[in-house]
This record gives sequence, C-alpha cells and structure tokens, in this order.
Amino acid sequence: MTQPGERLDRGRVITFTFDGKPVEAYAGDTIGSALFAAGRRTFSRSFKYHRPRGLMCVSGSCPNCICSVNGASGARACTEPAREGIDVRHVNALPSLEHDAMRATDLVGGPFTPPGFYYKTFIRPRRMWPLYEKVLRHAAGLGKLPATQPEREWRTEYRRRHADVLVVGGGLAGLHAALAAAGAGADTVLVDEGPAPGGQQLVTGGSRELVGAVRAAGVEILERGSALGYFDGLVPVWQSDTLHQVRAAQHVFATGTIEQPLVFAGNDLPGVMLASGARRLAALYAVSPGRRAVLATTSDRGLQAAVALRDAGTEIVAVADLRPETSALGRSLRAAGVPVFAGRTIVEASGGSVVGRATIAALGGGAELSFHCDLVLVSGGALPATSLALQAGAQTVYDRASGQFELSELPAGVHAAGELARARCDEAIAASGELAGLRAVAALGRDDRGRDDGRHDDGGRNDGRHEAARDVVRARIDELEARSPEAPGELALAPAVSGAGRGKCFACLCEDVTAKDVSQSIDEGYDSIELSKRYTTVTMGPCQGRMCQLPAVRLMAAETGLSLGSVGTTTARPPWVSVPMGILGGRPTQPARRSAIHDRHRELGAVVRWAGDWRRPYHYGDPQAEALAVHEAAGLIDVSTLGKLIVRGPDAGDFLDRMYPNRFSNLRPGRIRYGVISSDAGRIVDDGTICRLDDETFYVTTTSGGAGAVEEWFSWWLAGWGHRVRLTDVTQGMAAVNLAGPRARVIMSEVCDLDCSAPAFAYLDGRQGRVAGVPCLILRIGFVGEVGYEIHVPAAHGVHVWDALMAAGERHGLRPFGLEPQRILRLQKLHILVGQDTDSESTPFAAAMPWIVKLDKEQDFIGKWALRHYAQRTPATSLVGFTTADGDVPTEGAVIVDETGTPAGQVTSSRHSPVLRRTIGMAWVPTALAQDGVAITISDEGRRLQAEIQTRPFFDPDGEVLRS
Amino acid sequence: MSLDFLAVHAGPDAIARSPMEGLARAAGARFEVRDGWNVAVAFPSTAVASVAVASVAVASVPQAPGTPAPPVGWADTSHERTLELQAPADELDAVEHLRLGEAVRAGDAWWCRLTRTRALILGGVMPVAGALDVTSTYASLTLLGPMARETIARFCALDLRPRMAPVGALRPGSVARQPGIVIREAEDRYRLLFGWATGEYVWSVVADAAEHLGGRPVGIDQL
Repeated sequence: MTQPGERLDRGRVITFTFDGKPVEAYAGDTIGSALFAAGRRTFSRSFKYHRPRGLMCVSGSCPNCICSVNGASGARACTEPAREGIDVRHVNALPSLEHDAMRATDLVGGPFTPPGFYYKTFIRPRRMWPLYEKVLRHAAGLGKLPATQPEREWRTEYRRRHADVLVVGGGLAGLHAALAAAGAGADTVLVDEGPAPGGQQLVTGGSRELVGAVRAAGVEILERGSALGYFDGLVPVWQSDTLHQVRAAQHVFATGTIEQPLVFAGNDLPGVMLASGARRLAALYAVSPGRRAVLATTSDRGLQAAVALRDAGTEIVAVADLRPETSALGRSLRAAGVPVFAGRTIVEASGGSVVGRATIAALGGGAELSFHCDLVLVSGGALPATSLALQAGAQTVYDRASGQFELSELPAGVHAAGELARARCDEAIAASGELAGLRAVAALGRDDRGRDDGRHDDGGRNDGRHEAARDVVRARIDELEARSPEAPGELALAPAVSGAGRGKCFACLCEDVTAKDVSQSIDEGYDSIELSKRYTTVTMGPCQGRMCQLPAVRLMAAETGLSLGSVGTTTARPPWVSVPMGILGGRPTQPARRSAIHDRHRELGAVVRWAGDWRRPYHYGDPQAEALAVHEAAGLIDVSTLGKLIVRGPDAGDFLDRMYPNRFSNLRPGRIRYGVISSDAGRIVDDGTICRLDDETFYVTTTSGGAGAVEEWFSWWLAGWGHRVRLTDVTQGMAAVNLAGPRARVIMSEVCDLDCSAPAFAYLDGRQGRVAGVPCLILRIGFVGEVGYEIHVPAAHGVHVWDALMAAGERHGLRPFGLEPQRILRLQKLHILVGQDTDSESTPFAAAMPWIVKLDKEQDFIGKWALRHYAQRTPATSLVGFTTADGDVPTEGAVIVDETGTPAGQVTSSRHSPVLRRTIGMAWVPTALAQDGVAITISDEGRRLQAEIQTRPFFDPDGEVLRS
Repeated sequence: MSLDFLAVHAGPDAIARSPMEGLARAAGARFEVRDGWNVAVAFPSTAVASVAVASVAVASVPQAPGTPAPPVGWADTSHERTLELQAPADELDAVEHLRLGEAVRAGDAWWCRLTRTRALILGGVMPVAGALDVTSTYASLTLLGPMARETIARFCALDLRPRMAPVGALRPGSVARQPGIVIREAEDRYRLLFGWATGEYVWSVVADAAEHLGGRPVGIDQL
C-alpha cells in the first residue's frame, strides 16, 4: 500500500551498481534506501577506527553513508537520488566494506590512538617522519580521487540570483514565509535541502498543497539545494552541479532543528538510527528500518516516530523515556502494549556487524533491562540549526527550559522562523513563518502587490490599493506578534554519556572522537570547547557539528562542571555542509587579453606566454635569430599591450608637468618625449612616451602592466586638482606594432603615405599618416636600438596593417619577433623594464636617469620634494650594465657579492646578445662600484661569475643608429 | 593634428575585423563585408550546443523558415560605432538623451550616460561634436532570447531582474570578471560591452554559458 509521504514511482525500476554489483531501485529511491531495501546494513567504514557504519540520520547530516558516485567522493547515500546506471562505490575500506583490514586500528589500537596521537606517536625518531607522513596520508581521507585529471572533472556552474527575500528551509515555516513574502509582492527564493520541500511534513505528505501554493505564488524553489554560508548577504546555494550565488535584501532562516543522537556504548553500530531517520526511511521510501526496535528518547519527538514506525509494521519492543514520567503519548503507547520505561535511557547497543541487543537502565544505575532487537532508535533532543544565522551575526543563549542554544539577537535583514524562532507546534510554526515573511517584506519597504516586475507600472494610479495592501500586512504582523510565546514541551536533558566503560561511546562519528577522548583532552588542558575542538577535531568533520556539537558541549560541561551555557558553542563557519571543491571553483575560464593581431601570431607558430593580463608572443621559434634579424634587416613586434591614454584639454600640458618629473608643456606638437612616473615618494612606478598631438592633446603610452594603474593615478589626481583635462583610455582600442631595423625605413616608405626620410620624419617625431590606407599615429621611437616606427592603429585594423607590413617586408627580410628577443635588444641599450630592473625603492637618480628630473620646474610635481631630497644624496646602490667574463648567463635575481662574500647587489636582467656575442645584463651594485671597467662578482646558485661593469649602452652607445 | 587616427576607417581596402572573428569562423559563421566590416551575418543551425532546450520559444527573434529558435542567441555587434563624449556635468545635463544610469534610444543610437561627465553613444552614423571614436575600444555582444538573462547570470553578478533593470537600463559592472557594461535593449535582449582585447575571452565565456542552456551564436541578420 502506498504511504502518504512515499516518494517512489513503483512503475519505474532503475538499476545501478554498488561496488560493481547491480542494485535495483524504484525511481524516487535514494541510493541509501535502495541499498537498505536490498539488505545492506553497512554503508561505510569510520574515519579512524574503520568501524562499520550504517544509515543513521537519513537526511544527509551524518557521515555514516558517505560513498562515491561515478568517481566523485563525498556523496551521502541517504539523500543522493538513485539514477539509472550510476556507479556507486564504498569509501575508506580495503579490501571490502565487510572485511576491512584497517579495522585493526579499532580492535588493537584504541588505547594507542588518543587525541593528538599523530603528534605524540610519530614525532620520534624525526628522520622517520617522511615515511610516517606517507603512510598516514595513504590511510587518511574518505574516498580517493580518480586517477586521471579528466576523470576528476565534471561541469559545474555559477549562477547569480538576486532576490528580495531568500528563505532558507522548506519546512512548514519556510513555506509559509515564502508564501507570505511572495504574496506581498516580493521576489522570493526558497532553498530546501530535503528530497522535496516540506520538512517534517514530508513523512505525512501533508505539505503538497502548500508547496503547490508556494510555487503558484511565483517563488523560485531551489530543491535539494544546500545553503553553504552567509557572506555579508551573499548566500551560496549548492544544488547538484550548480552554485547559486543568491544575494537577497532580506533573509528568512527557517532551518529548523536537528535531532541529536545519544552518546552510549556501541552508539555507532549499524542499526542504531535517529528516530526521525528511521521514520523517514519508512515513510518516504517504504523501507522497514527493522523488525524489532528499542527506542531511547528524551521527549515526545522520539515517541512520535515510534508510533509511526509501529503503524508501519515495526515492533517496538521497549521504550526508554528519560523523563521521570512519560507523556500522554507514552502512556497511550503503554496502553497499546508497548513497554514504556520512564526515567531510563540506553546504556549499550551490542551485536556483531549490526545491532542485536539493547540495554537500558536508569541514569543513576540499578537494574538493567536488555532486549533483543535489530533496530535502536535514539532521540536525544534537538539542536536548532543556527549556523547560518550565526554567520549572519546572530547570537545564541542557552535556554534551560528547552535545553537548547536558542537565537537571541538577529541582525538587520535577518529573520528567524519556525523552530528556530522557538515555535513548536504546527500552527505556531506556520504562523512564525508567515510572520517572518511579512516582516521581511515590511523591511523591504515595499509590501505592495503588483509592482514587482516593473513591466506594468501603473503610473501611481493604484497607490490606494497598494496602501491598503500594506495596511493588511501590517495588521497581520501585529496580530501574529501579539500571540503568546509557546512553552517548550516536556523533555529531559540528555546525559553527556551513558554506559561509559562498556565500550566506545562516540561523541563525533565523523572523526571517531569518543567521550573518553574529550575527557582526556580536558585533562591535558584543552578545557574549552574551542580548544577541545582543535585538539580532538570534534565538530570538524563532514557533518560540520550537526551531529556532534551538542554531545561535545554536554561532555565538556559534565567534565568541567560548567553549565552548558558557560561552555557555549563553537564558532559557526562556512561551509555549513560539506561541498565539493569543484563546485566552488566554477567554470574553468581565465580572463585574458589578446591583441587584435593574436590570430596571426598563432598562425605564425608563436610561443605564447602570459605577460600580465595579456597573452603575448614570446617568440616565434628562435629568439636569438629574431633579435639578430632586427639588426640585420628588420623585425616587427606587436606592442598593442602598451597602455595608451588620450590626455586632452586646455590644461593638459600643465597636468602632465605635475604628473611627471620632466616637462611636457614645452613639448612641441608632433614631438615625443620619454617620461618616468614617480610616486609621491620619488620612486619609479612606470614609464613611457608622450607625444604631443596638438596644443591641447597628448598621446601617452605606459608600460603594458601599468596601464590600468596609470589611468587610475591620473584620474585620482585630476579629481583633486580640477584641471580642465579629459582622459580617455584607448589601450584596448589601439593596436600597435613596432617596425625596427636597418630596412624599416624602406618598408615603411612602401606602405605609408608620409615622407619617411630621416630629415622629414626624424627620431622622436610623431606623425599622423596612412599605413596601407588606414589612418595611423606613427611614432619614430625605438626600444630596440634600431631605426623604429611604432604604428598605432584602431584595433579593428590591426590585422590589416600587420599583414600589409609583413607583405611589404617579405623581400626585405622582415620577420616577426617576440617579447624575448625584444628583451635582448632593449638590454643592449640598457633600457629599463619597470618592475624587472626597478623595485619599489628605485629612484630615477639611482636608475641612472638623473637627467629626467627637472627640479627647476616651476610647478610642483608628484614626488618633487622627495626627489629634491634624493638629488642631494648619493644613492647606496645604482643600476648599471655588466658583461660576464666567460660568457655564462647569470640567473636573474643572482646576488652581487663583495670581497667578503656579503650580498651587495642583485642582477635584474641578463641575456646572451647574438649581435654582441657576449653575455650582458643589468644589476644594482654599490654606487662606489658603478664605474666602467670595475670588476664585480656574481654569486649564482653556487657558481661565482666574474663580471665587468659598463654604464653606457652596449649597442650604439651614442644613439647614432637610432637617430639615423 | 586631429584624432582621426582613433576612428575605424573601414572600407574595401581596409577591412575592419572584430576580435571575435576567429571564434565566429570556428563556429561556422558566414561572413559578409558590410560598411567595411567583416561581419558574421549568419550561422548554420548546427552551430548548436551540446544541450538543447527545444521547448523554449523565442518570440522576439525573427527566424529563417525551418530554423529552430535558440533559447538564447549571441551575436557579435562590435562593428557598431561607439563614441565617447566627455564634458562638464552641466553640459551633459543639457543633452536631451543623456540620463544617468539609462540608455536612451534616439534615432538609431543608444545614448548612455556612464557618469556625470562621461557618456557613450552606441550605433548611429551622425557626427557628434566633441566626441571621440572609441569603436575599437569596446567589443560588443548582443544576447537575445528568453534565456538571455539567465545566461548572463552565469558570468555576471549584476542585478538584471526586470524590476531592477527595465528596458533601457545601463549597468556598468563586472562582466565575466572583466570591466564591462550591460544594456537592456529590449524585453529579452541585452548588449554587453567589454574591452576589445578581452573579446575572445568573453565570447568563450558567453558561448560556454549559453550553449549549456541550449543557445547558439546568431548572425547580425537575425537581430
């Protein structure tokens, strides 16, 4: 007979495999329910002791059924839907779940594996640690990654979702909250991690109409979704392969409570289940959790489950109700023939691989009663699921009446509903949800139906109706708030541990932490819950404290004599549920900038590397030959990555005079000048060229990596100074290529409509002309020491101009060159690379550019005060060139050492120059040594290299080639 | 010296190209030179994605007979002219079509005021005094179809819900982790502006997200 809450489609049979063997299931089954129905009782092996573990919570909270699905570890069998053809495998057991060799750690290792045993046991002898580490790493972990990277990858998605109200928890309270919020016009999202929305109502099927109403109200329901945490209003929700990043204006937490286990001997045996878990297994999946059950409970919650299971066919052979007197429900059970023992609790579950017997007793001792059974139901109170609310800034206090840590203060924008708001009965829970939903809407300041989508703005004609709706909401809030607070039901506080001395009593199933472990940690001085957590790792496992927080607090209180409230709870941290790292990673996309000519570089076989945010051709196969070609014929390099700014306005010249240490207001239109940008501390932060286009317009180039920072730097100062200057960043809008070499002029003459002769187009001239028919800005500058033309063209024409130049240059020996040959060429000229040859301490004076600082400028400029200071002092170190004696190329970063071997400087750049046929480089050396011909010693990874300083460029020191 | 060199002078002898041309070609685009630009005018309907969402209809996209409508299509619209206008706030205040945070359709152009002193004018051919041609500073993709907003949500955190971003909304922000601008041009149509150099990257991100939702690239004739 189909049960009201059943989720199975008995008409659809599916098959999957578990450890390679086929398992049949109905559609709607979970892996766990199908395996249980097929007779499996052991689902996993525990983390440390490799004890067999079976289904316990049937809600994805505990670690007992962790398995791998299609190679992905960390799935909970009890909540993971069974799907056709999936490959499910056990974790943490070798060779099989039934026979696990590592079980020896439990049988013989218990006394030898106290908390911190890693640190205590494996510290000596020290030399053995690498071996220990290898063994421990092999033994640790739950599951193994597939062997190859492709097998480890699956598609995961990020999805951003804005909402007015986010409701976390799809139980009665959450559903009512969502319904109220959506009904009042709020764009509402509801997250529920259960198999379907409904919460505790699911088992009776009583929530279907309500869920339908919520859907009809337009609420987006993220089913089987887990809210991972709260990050300043952002709540990531993991749903299948998608991470929803939900950013809502208001949050309603209706996360309910989590039934807690009891700590007693053998409390981890397969067959020991939370009462609610057993009830879910029977009600949702039509699987009988056992034939004969013993229940140990502290409240009516367990009794309700027992009644339901009895109705479903399980014989309840005994009930241990810890309360001095059982409740009306207990009495009715007793009247129906079920032995109900008040004032008792379970002290031991025993058996072989599964439970076979349960023993109950009074807490103070006395006669014990023992029952044959195959199922032990436990209900040790409830833990309000406050974690998300705490992460949002809420506080908790311990409430003696309810025996729970209850929310006491909520931050703005956060509302609690249902059991989290201390509601207990269904009616109160529903009202609490509605109240929280309405409060959330009221806090939005927009509780007006009909204005939600903006597509049907009524121009204010319905303001009266909206006002009336607001009044209705406010009146309902008043009505709900006026209700009397609900008294907690009768309950008994669960003992910290019972049956100690009879066997292992687990406080934390994830990490195999026993009550004895917690006690021992306190004896060793870890006497607060936070310290004990770190030492024993209790609450740090996959359940994230859902199953062990309260037991650990109870143990701590019992051992220290403190009250539960004084012990407190551990800090709530995300993620609230364990989540695959891949989900957090999102799509594997890497932002990259590419020049407009990038496709051509690919076609030419360029080796492409990262250069800041850019993908740049590093070379085209032979950097030395490419460098040589620039000297012998011509080379073409893509320099589109240079930063490019248009600075225009009546005050543009004055503005640049203030930004740079040298002058630009006196630069003639059509001329170019090099500039170094210094910080207000006088340190070099960027460099580039500035071409004056007309009286009010400058074309400023920066380094590739510095473009963004320079634009921000300029904008920042502009905002303060109020110059009449407009700034436009055209870095990405302009492609740029540099044509350089002895044949460059000839090639340019063939494609350019300008007179490219030296007198007409001189070094440091900037001209606007057409190259291959396209208007361009052409700068006669060169970074590589040869006659050069830097051609700037709209990026859309980049390929066209590149192609035209390559075609024209073919018969002149033109070849493309990349970043690496460019670095060789610029080093020959001792041109600095900011960031490579300079650091945050480098000044123009120390970097051998004192000529660039115009301290006699009438304007203040950035860094002037500091540069004046530096001008009066000899720098400790100076940047110079060097050549090595034997041709070895020192590593960049190698150390310059003095005669005593003490570090005195550093190599910043070094290359072999094919045209000079020797090794050249740049280095910071003590200023006293910064003279031509001085010998220095370079210490480079154990080598000692002899080098000689050179302060003038290695190639064309007087710039005759460049200017020709 | 003028700033003429900034403008794209597309013509038969100097074809202008989008940074996404290579990826469009790889997706099977048919190109035509229009107004000097090599533009992807159409894609084969087989340029579809791995996951089909066939049940979603696209009312706003004119379809060739027999071609199923994608739930989201994306078209390279980088060839449309982009001008930048910078002026003191009071001067921009006086321009009829410029309203902060809005894209206003005037004639065949979108007038977009990004800040109090800076605006972009997208499309159109009429000269605008004092404006710089920054066409090839911004690459552009237009997404359309009922799943367009959902697609954008996969790589952009801007709040584009209809109430928050009505038609004409102008939203600068992070697009695929790059500086960008989103304009809601019509009910199910959004234009993304982003740096020219990031064109290939952004296309790949959009394609990755859209294909997963059953989308495919479309040519400008389908806009």
